[in-house]
Amino acid sequence: MPRLLTRLLLGASLMFAASGAALAGKDLVVGVPDNLTGLDPADLNDNLSQSAARLMFEGLYMLDENMKLQPQLAGSFEANEEATQFIFHLRKGVTFHDGTPFNAVAVKASFDRAGNPANHLKRQSLFVMIDHTDAVDDYTVKVVLKYPFGAFVNDIAHIGALIVSPKSVQDFGKEVTRHPSGTGPYEFVSWTADTLKMKKNEHYWKPGLPKIDTITYRSVPENGARIAMLQTGEAQFIYPVPPEMIKSLQNSPTITVFDEPSILVRYIALNNLRKPFDDPRVRLALNYAVDKQAFIKVVFSGHADPMDSPMPQLLGFYQKQGSYPYDPAKAKALLAEAGYPNGFETTLTGASNTLAQRGMQFIQQQLAAVGVTAKVEPLEAGVLTDKMFNVQKPEDASIVMLYGGWSSSTGDADWGMRPMLYTKAFPPVLANLAWYSNKMTDAAIEEGLSTTDPTKRAAAYAKAQAQVWKDVPWIFLSVDHDLAAYSKKLTGASMRPDQQFHLTADATLN
Amino acid sequence: MFDYLIRRLVGTIPVLLAVSVIVFLFVHLLPGDPARLVAGPDASLQDIAAVRAEMGLDQPLPAQYLHYLGQTVQLHWGRSIKTHQTVAELIGERFMPTLLLTVFAMLWSVIAGVAIGVLSGVKRGRWVDRSAIVLAISGVSFPGFWLGLLLIDLFSVRLGWLPTGGYGSWQHFVLPAFTLGVGVAAVMARFTRSAFVEVTAEDYVRTARAKGVPERGVVWKHTLRNALIPVITLAGLQFGFLLGGAIVVETVFAWPGLGRLLVDSVAYRDYPVIQAEILLFSFEFVLINLIVDLLYGLVNPEIRLR
Repeated sequence: MPRLLTRLLLGASLMFAASGAALAGKDLVVGVPDNLTGLDPADLNDNLSQSAARLMFEGLYMLDENMKLQPQLAGSFEANEEATQFIFHLRKGVTFHDGTPFNAVAVKASFDRAGNPANHLKRQSLFVMIDHTDAVDDYTVKVVLKYPFGAFVNDIAHIGALIVSPKSVQDFGKEVTRHPSGTGPYEFVSWTADTLKMKKNEHYWKPGLPKIDTITYRSVPENGARIAMLQTGEAQFIYPVPPEMIKSLQNSPTITVFDEPSILVRYIALNNLRKPFDDPRVRLALNYAVDKQAFIKVVFSGHADPMDSPMPQLLGFYQKQGSYPYDPAKAKALLAEAGYPNGFETTLTGASNTLAQRGMQFIQQQLAAVGVTAKVEPLEAGVLTDKMFNVQKPEDASIVMLYGGWSSSTGDADWGMRPMLYTKAFPPVLANLAWYSNKMTDAAIEEGLSTTDPTKRAAAYAKAQAQVWKDVPWIFLSVDHDLAAYSKKLTGASMRPDQQFHLTADATLN
Repeated sequence: MFDYLIRRLVGTIPVLLAVSVIVFLFVHLLPGDPARLVAGPDASLQDIAAVRAEMGLDQPLPAQYLHYLGQTVQLHWGRSIKTHQTVAELIGERFMPTLLLTVFAMLWSVIAGVAIGVLSGVKRGRWVDRSAIVLAISGVSFPGFWLGLLLIDLFSVRLGWLPTGGYGSWQHFVLPAFTLGVGVAAVMARFTRSAFVEVTAEDYVRTARAKGVPERGVVWKHTLRNALIPVITLAGLQFGFLLGGAIVVETVFAWPGLGRLLVDSVAYRDYPVIQAEILLFSFEFVLINLIVDLLYGLVNPEIRLR
């Protein structure tokens, strides 16, 4: 018995020692809400896995923490005026984590693999415009497109176009998602159940970097527990922080709160083909009926901004349109003019999470004040997706008011408008759940894609935004803030406006 | 005895087969297109078609079932739609954390529950009994997530004694095992008490007392042994439920267990994982029932197994 006791005590002290050691050194722990889905950049669609993959992989171009395009593995590019041919000059002396060299052949292999429909990768649509990719010499790549695509450099800055070591694909095939090998500042160590471990890439091409030894992603689904992790020092960065908890963290001397605008717009898509929303006066009336400031205060504890254009401010080519101020009297007058002096009954559909339900209930109350009775219908994600997209003809749509949101995953204006506001984006193709169709808007969106000239693109998107703002296909609500919190010992960490954890290559932890 | 075991184990096969059909139909009839969910909100139709083909969902339903059954019989569980990991690996990673947490939670809560139950049964009507009732009712009524967060706040944030969550050393077990066991201990205490009180009224207990058996013997031998039968049944049921993964506790303490995996899989419509997990849980229940039956015989030799 005493023997057993000593053994137990010894074991316990070893464990203590182990957990103590994990706290020392430059080991960054990031507390995240979900489990990862994979680490193959071409096969990811969730922000969380993408942010992890970005620490290990790099693209020819990247979006920095301000969503500005920056060269990464390419030094520069040239494009022809029609936006059909792009030549990239690659950085020299870069190697993948598995030791193989990064060169034009690797870029071609990466693009060819991700775009090949036979590989069934989730991001293949990013490559549909590519006709072929050529390795001109070791460090020059030429991409020829089937049709003009002005947003192409943004497109390949997308996570789906990060460069994967061709050797790792050869060795692991589909399993490359669990054996990632890129050129990024951190190398893969292990990924089990809910923990991802990465370590410093000793051969990173930027000399002297990175400065953090290891990074661990830990999935902690409960908001309160994640905050506790940061308070005890078990984690140095956590996200998201629910808006109502920000205030309590702001007083801590050791914690910095991150509270910056994102590119996620929140709106209610009104079914523009269905009565009563086919009447623009009704749609306008509902925009006047909602107090956007109060909405932000109640739902997001003030941590959001009102929408003043169909696009968020931080997206390229954004142009401010104005506001539809809170004016219930005007809303009632417009409804009466449209033939609904006593309002009408309708259903507001959306997701079932806390924030969405709170938002929908607030809208319900606001609409009631102008005589519109809205039934709130919160749905589980799978059921909601089915209701949104399992629609073959516009007449079959079963959602009339959708409490929704959108964030442009390419960080470009095109993907910030086309999926929800283009006639050819009606479900099931994409997410135009307002069934909004205007030839002027369509033409402007197409114009924006047909050139790489920034002034021409800016003019096109200015036209598109003005038209949509005038047509009011949505109730324009708010732009979310990214809410996170981190230890004061950490520098270089932030949330990008597309809601991904971002670590600069020179980030430090003291 | 051995024959009995074999017969019982063979008897589980039709049960599992029936479960497999029901689960298959159930997950495939759930509204929601898994290909659309997996591909994400801004996927194009090509992306979605790619995912659908990848998942084999473009095949007719009966063909999908036969494929699934064929694979299952060979113990091939397929791959997770979400992570591409094999289902066996995915469940394997989370099985031990769930099993260990269940065992620790059951261990303390059954001992504490039965002890409190017997104590209040012996001293029924007295203050010990009354406080035990208050304790038990509080235990059942305390929501797990709230208790968990209170414990984290006290022991991790304020005192700094224990980690807030995660899986690893023995310290990681303390708070989740305690939180998980509270409800079980409370139920066990209430149940033991009533079973104990019921048996106390039996003739053989009165006879034992009349022929002069010391009180200690009356309590532990005559009363408790007989009161244990329903208590064991209940403990078995609780054990089975906990093995299915304690979703609330796993969520609060970031525990990499089977409950969270199941919830995530349902949200993702990860068919192979849902099917395998439900089959596993059914098998566990059948197994636990068998063990409970064996324990009956151990506690009361009058119950014979044939």
